[in-house]
Amino acid sequence: MPNRYTIQRRLPYLLIAPSVLFLLALILYPLAFALRNSFWFWNLQMGPAPLYYSGLDNYRMVFQVTPFAVALKNTLLLGFLGTFAQFWLGMGIALLLHTHLRGMGLMRAALIMPTTLAPVVAGFLFRYLLEPKGGLLPWMLAGIGFPAPPQGFLGNANTALFTIGLVDTWQWTPFFAIVLYAGLLSINEEIKEAAQVDGAAPWRMFWSITLPLLRPIAAFLVMIRFMQLFNSFDLVFVLTSGGPGTASRTLSFNLYREGLVNYNIGLTAAMTWLVVIIVSVIINLYLFFIYRKREW
Amino acid sequence: MRRRSRRDQVTIYALMTLVMIFFLGPIFWFILLAFRHPSEAYTLPPQLFFEPYLGNFIDTFIDPGNNAPQLLSSVIVSTGATLLSLPFALAAAYSLSRFAMRGKEFIMNWYISLLIAPPIVFVIPYFILMSRIGWAGAYQGMIVTLQTLAIPFSVWLLKSFMDEVPVDLEEAAWVDGANRIAAFFRIIIPLALPGLIVTSMFTFVFSWNNVIFPLALSKQSTTTLPVGTISFFASTGVYWGHIAATAVVAMLPPMIIFLLLGRYVVRGLTFGAVKG
Repeated sequence: MPNRYTIQRRLPYLLIAPSVLFLLALILYPLAFALRNSFWFWNLQMGPAPLYYSGLDNYRMVFQVTPFAVALKNTLLLGFLGTFAQFWLGMGIALLLHTHLRGMGLMRAALIMPTTLAPVVAGFLFRYLLEPKGGLLPWMLAGIGFPAPPQGFLGNANTALFTIGLVDTWQWTPFFAIVLYAGLLSINEEIKEAAQVDGAAPWRMFWSITLPLLRPIAAFLVMIRFMQLFNSFDLVFVLTSGGPGTASRTLSFNLYREGLVNYNIGLTAAMTWLVVIIVSVIINLYLFFIYRKREW
Repeated sequence: MRRRSRRDQVTIYALMTLVMIFFLGPIFWFILLAFRHPSEAYTLPPQLFFEPYLGNFIDTFIDPGNNAPQLLSSVIVSTGATLLSLPFALAAAYSLSRFAMRGKEFIMNWYISLLIAPPIVFVIPYFILMSRIGWAGAYQGMIVTLQTLAIPFSVWLLKSFMDEVPVDLEEAAWVDGANRIAAFFRIIIPLALPGLIVTSMFTFVFSWNNVIFPLALSKQSTTTLPVGTISFFASTGVYWGHIAATAVVAMLPPMIIFLLLGRYVVRGLTFGAVKG
């Protein structure tokens, strides 16, 4: 019988084990499934099992049959521009909230509403608002001299991806705003007062004191938000279905199309591994550049 | 606090008004759409005042009410996913909060990497798996696979709450003869109860708003409300009144829960990393 001491020593791991084992089962199955089938030709419409071993064909086909390179470019563009816009707009709003004028508390509480919506619901909202005939936004923009393209902002190859980014920015800027505002509240006022006494200009205080102190929070927010944008599926699905053509197709939507519309399981499996590798590279690069400096 | 000039104050309020109109206007306009008669969905110039029409809600939820079962499915899936995640997350969060152990940081980062991984990568193999084990379209399939998000999230958030329960209280209970398990249920659970409730509420909202899992793993009779709303596009062309009515019902629970969460919103949205 194990004595009290061994139980004590093993307890921490015993408590974590159920969640880790459960999650491992949940993620290793799909990854192993994808790895095996990425070397097999398998279309679900032709049969419930893989048809034949096809070597690296699936990996080649990812680039030849699907617009993988375009999807990767769109995904990265959406991720970088979206995160950038949301961070700085959110920062601006956080600074406005931080003036503590009367009514700011109420506004802060109401501001979070877009973020509470399911992304598909946010998609519906803007599909309605952007409807080329009868939508409120094209009507308003035409009124101030910016007519929408005839197919609408979502139907035009030049504006579709950009519009998806704007809708995501609408939904998630409030998230940045209230979290950065919470960060501003946690900054010790004495540091700022000392700088004020030294005669520092407001913008200089922002760059040299506020921003560096917000860095840990900002680094965390930017990482999770960039990845959520990178995974964009719901909004793309509702707003454009990746179109027109492939103008707004993202990696996630590309996977969905091949896997759950065309039922090309083998090809999807190969694409899955390419995406897993890309995501791992991005996350590790990010962690390397952001957290490297904190060593000293 | 520095006093602001009258002109500064006016500028700040003007900017804040624009901000509020930009972020809340679209939601307001969409809620109005749900109460408009279908023939008035596209009236321009826009009508702010009109005779409210309840037909959209009656059609979708009462008679014939095709979306009412989807509402029930959403409740079943979100509640199931939340309840299933709690025991796993509670044990792991307690352990990570209370013990010094090797690899703790690695495990915490591993949980977060699951949260930010692209879900679509997992969903397609699950789709095949579910039909092989006879769970095609079943609630269990969605509830179990949603754990890839629910457990890591709950572990992070619960840990942040447990970190705030003083170790002294627990140690006092041990001195009084309670063993670790008894102390856990008598001290930690009651003191971390607010955290437990907050975590459950967030897990519920995230599961409620999730579309990728039910889109791939549900069948017509088990599909959830947000997915049901999407199907309007596929079927008879865009019928905005019905879309708006179902979407408004789908957006209400998360909105109400966020209002109730109040000061915990920041903490929940950042998985406990930022304490609001």
